[in-house]
Amino acid sequence: MIWMLILSFKPGYKIVANPWSLPHHLHFENYTNAWTTAHLGHDFGNSILVTIGTLIVLMPIGAMAAYVLARYPFKGSQLIFGTILGGMMFPFFLVMVPLFMLMNQLHLYDTKSGLILVYIAYSLSFTIFVLYGFFQTLPHELAEASMLDGCNHHSVFWKVMLPLARPGMIVVAVFNAIGLWNEYALALVLVPSQANHTLPLGIADLASTQQYQSDWGALFAGLVIVILPVLIVYWILRDRIHDTMLAGAVKG
Amino acid sequence: MAASKSGINKGKGTFIVLYLGPALIIYLGLVIWPLIQAFQFSLYRWSGLSNVATFIGLHNFQKLAHDDVFWRSLEHNLALLVIGGAVIVAISLVAAHLLAEKGRSARLLRGVILFPQMMSLTVVAILWMFIFNPQFGIVTGLFNVLHLGNLSKTWLAYPPTALPAVGIAFAWFAIGFYAMLFSAGLKTIPDEVKEAAELDGAAGWQKFRKVTWPMLWSIKRIVLVHLTILVLNIFVLVYLMTAGGPDRATEVLLTYMYQRAFQDSQLGYATAIAVANFVVAMVLTFLVLLVIGKDPTEARP
Amino acid sequence: MKNQFGLQAMILASFTALAVGCAPGGTTSSKPTAHELAATGKPTGKVEVKLFKGGYGIGFFQRAAQDYMKQNPGVTITVSGDPKVWEELRPRMVAGDPPDLMYPGWGMDHWKLAQEGQLYTLDKALESPAYGSKESWRSTFIPSVLALGQKDGKQYVMPYFINIQGMWYDPGVFAKHGWTPPKTFPELLALCQKIKAAGIAPLTFQGKYPYYMIENMIIPWVQSIGGIQAVNDLQNLKPGAWQAPAVLQAVSMIDQLNKAGDFEKGAVGMTHTESQTEFVNGKAAMIPCGSWLHSEMAKTMPPGAQMAYFLPPVVPGGKGDPTAMEISIEPWMVPVKAKNPEAAIDFFKYLTSLPVAQKFVQEKETLMSVVGSDSGPLPPLLQSQDDLFKQSKTVYSYIARQWYPQMETSIENALTSLLNGDITPQQFCDRAEAAAKKTRDDPNIMKHHLN
Repeated sequence: MIWMLILSFKPGYKIVANPWSLPHHLHFENYTNAWTTAHLGHDFGNSILVTIGTLIVLMPIGAMAAYVLARYPFKGSQLIFGTILGGMMFPFFLVMVPLFMLMNQLHLYDTKSGLILVYIAYSLSFTIFVLYGFFQTLPHELAEASMLDGCNHHSVFWKVMLPLARPGMIVVAVFNAIGLWNEYALALVLVPSQANHTLPLGIADLASTQQYQSDWGALFAGLVIVILPVLIVYWILRDRIHDTMLAGAVKG
Repeated sequence: MAASKSGINKGKGTFIVLYLGPALIIYLGLVIWPLIQAFQFSLYRWSGLSNVATFIGLHNFQKLAHDDVFWRSLEHNLALLVIGGAVIVAISLVAAHLLAEKGRSARLLRGVILFPQMMSLTVVAILWMFIFNPQFGIVTGLFNVLHLGNLSKTWLAYPPTALPAVGIAFAWFAIGFYAMLFSAGLKTIPDEVKEAAELDGAAGWQKFRKVTWPMLWSIKRIVLVHLTILVLNIFVLVYLMTAGGPDRATEVLLTYMYQRAFQDSQLGYATAIAVANFVVAMVLTFLVLLVIGKDPTEARP
Repeated sequence: MKNQFGLQAMILASFTALAVGCAPGGTTSSKPTAHELAATGKPTGKVEVKLFKGGYGIGFFQRAAQDYMKQNPGVTITVSGDPKVWEELRPRMVAGDPPDLMYPGWGMDHWKLAQEGQLYTLDKALESPAYGSKESWRSTFIPSVLALGQKDGKQYVMPYFINIQGMWYDPGVFAKHGWTPPKTFPELLALCQKIKAAGIAPLTFQGKYPYYMIENMIIPWVQSIGGIQAVNDLQNLKPGAWQAPAVLQAVSMIDQLNKAGDFEKGAVGMTHTESQTEFVNGKAAMIPCGSWLHSEMAKTMPPGAQMAYFLPPVVPGGKGDPTAMEISIEPWMVPVKAKNPEAAIDFFKYLTSLPVAQKFVQEKETLMSVVGSDSGPLPPLLQSQDDLFKQSKTVYSYIARQWYPQMETSIENALTSLLNGDITPQQFCDRAEAAAKKTRDDPNIMKHHLN
């Protein structure tokens, strides 16, 4: 990490010549190049919008579905769970053709809302899969007791079970956020126009250009721009994440 | 005051439909439906460059059964899964226990454990390519310092070391996530159970084996299934670090599929590889669920 | 999610418009279908141009489009590009919504497109007048270069600039040590000893992409030993061609250099950027590469570094032409489903008109397919290439990599094994021959033939 930060301040030819040395001068032009020439500033905003937009819808509906599958087994619920697991088992490019067509028909092709919808769909497997595990480990007696206290199914979920599953929710949200922040393949296909580009697309453009123009400096500056906000957010939240886990630990 | 059994069941059906519905509709529409459509491609001879294609039934799959490269790639995936997976699970468990400690080093570990996960795989690949670089990489340097210079090979270009080198990079990337899962799993073990175990005189390894490990059954299942799928879908890391080389020593299913799809313009055949990949993932997942399908603690009084 | 998103950079692009139920129709034959593009009168309307954004960028073409629009007010041209433009183009081709003119770069199999009847043949257009001229468009091209875009006498793709294939050295470093670029293989061997004595690696190469070594060393040596026919035999998939004595000897020469330690340690695992960086930093004295090397490495070259081209050293007593020069082109094409193919061709005529071509040569320091585009004073680096190009009595290209990608992959893998010391030159030839046989026997692969 630190090494990457150092690299981002060096001119291209020195990076590969002697990657472990410290730069003599800070080459900020690597950053200005990345920020302006590669439109990373604009892409940055799009990435934030898309990531947050996805999580806001994804987390509740994912948790709801996971809860039902984990705690309300019915005929066919295992089949549904299996199908949802299946969603994690194929390489992405397999569905690109039909997905492209579908988005086109829904008039969501090359729109940010379309991308968000697809992100929600393709994040559901992971979300449901992990939360399913968490809901299953929660003690059954608790839900039954709450029902006896007069709670209905809805309030048991929102007031009892969901708070108890907070450690799981946080882990899942964090990992979804990271995955979405770095997502490239779907964005590449579904939002081709520059105006809708997300950060990974900008970086990929920079990286491929580097292949033909050997501009390592700008590439590393770009990588730092992508990674730094994630690290900062994580660093700020790291104790909170762990504390929440401790606090949310099930007391039986 | 006391609700009857039927009271508990009241509104259950509506509740299920209401809560499962939104996720299921989105999932079926945007994931499963396109997937079913996509499977069709494996039945065609199709370049993927135009709409010209020929229906050839299961011919692609017959060819696949006799394709040495396909089987070799699958072996590499399985080697990464079994050997890499064992290492990853072991280190993640240790890390998860360390995370639960109190003190400075645990806090530091909490800070850094997810760093690799924060980076995209592209960055991970670039980083490890620099580390394994024969001219200035750390690995080469380490061997030279230890006067084992003769042993220092170009790791990524030397067939016996290339796959382990990719595996190391992969493990480095993956461990944080599983450590987090195990860590969260440890938190869900009720204190009473831990205390009861301690009262029984269990400590250290004994406690882990008798109490912690069985109690983690659900997390274990998540980890193993997730790991299986992750390893079978490994692509970016291999593609960037070795492109499947040297001489296919690190070829995995998806790098081979990529070659077929985009270098050889055989998208139909490539889809057949993807379908095979999917089937293998399904079978392995099923096996994991079969082995760790039941809550071992439930049987206890 | 993580696992799928782990697939990012799964450079998919394979999204296409293949309807369910309306499964892809038609069948493929190994004979391409010809759609002749008739040249018409005044160009008009919108033209979309999609370009591969490589070392030369796309700025030149965007400026050219502006100039063209000033001269042709009825036409609106948009030029855009991407380093991975083929990913965007593949699905658009399948969906039947391609641009009007495209230069898709190395990521798209244009011969497959020709086979599937997706490209216009341009022979009628070539007979029509060149841009702003009375002479035929065809006569403005160097015939041997134009021929590289033909199949069965039909023009499917057009050349633009020319890549010169061969070897590179740093004249500054060579002058300092009193070395001269080797003209023959024995000279190369002797020079390698001197270079090693100076503490520099004699040769480096793009080991992760073995075709650099195949195209810039092995194929020229096969030509030098066995003559151009030996290279044509390889490309024509002639039975036994890869096991011919000329090929065995050329591959043995690589093996000899390798065993003598003349290649930089670790080069077998290097990407093109890594090895080329070693070269421009003076850690290795010579490197095989095409003439894009300079533009590709410009930003990485340390101050004071230079580079110059030399022909791959010849083998004394060989049947080949010592002046022979290997070139390659990067093709431009017009899809049959283009909405405005006539205007697209007119714009491409403009791009290949002499003044524009001359400007491209000067600005990008590369040779071009257009006759006379190299007139006038050239930059020194280009001048030396141009001199060799003009002196050359044999100009040829190794196109088999584009024609038969699957065979090429097998051969590249075999070369890596040879360089790792796992197989002998004879085993390399046997593996390459087996790969050629597989391609030869596959009726679904369209075959090409060189005379």
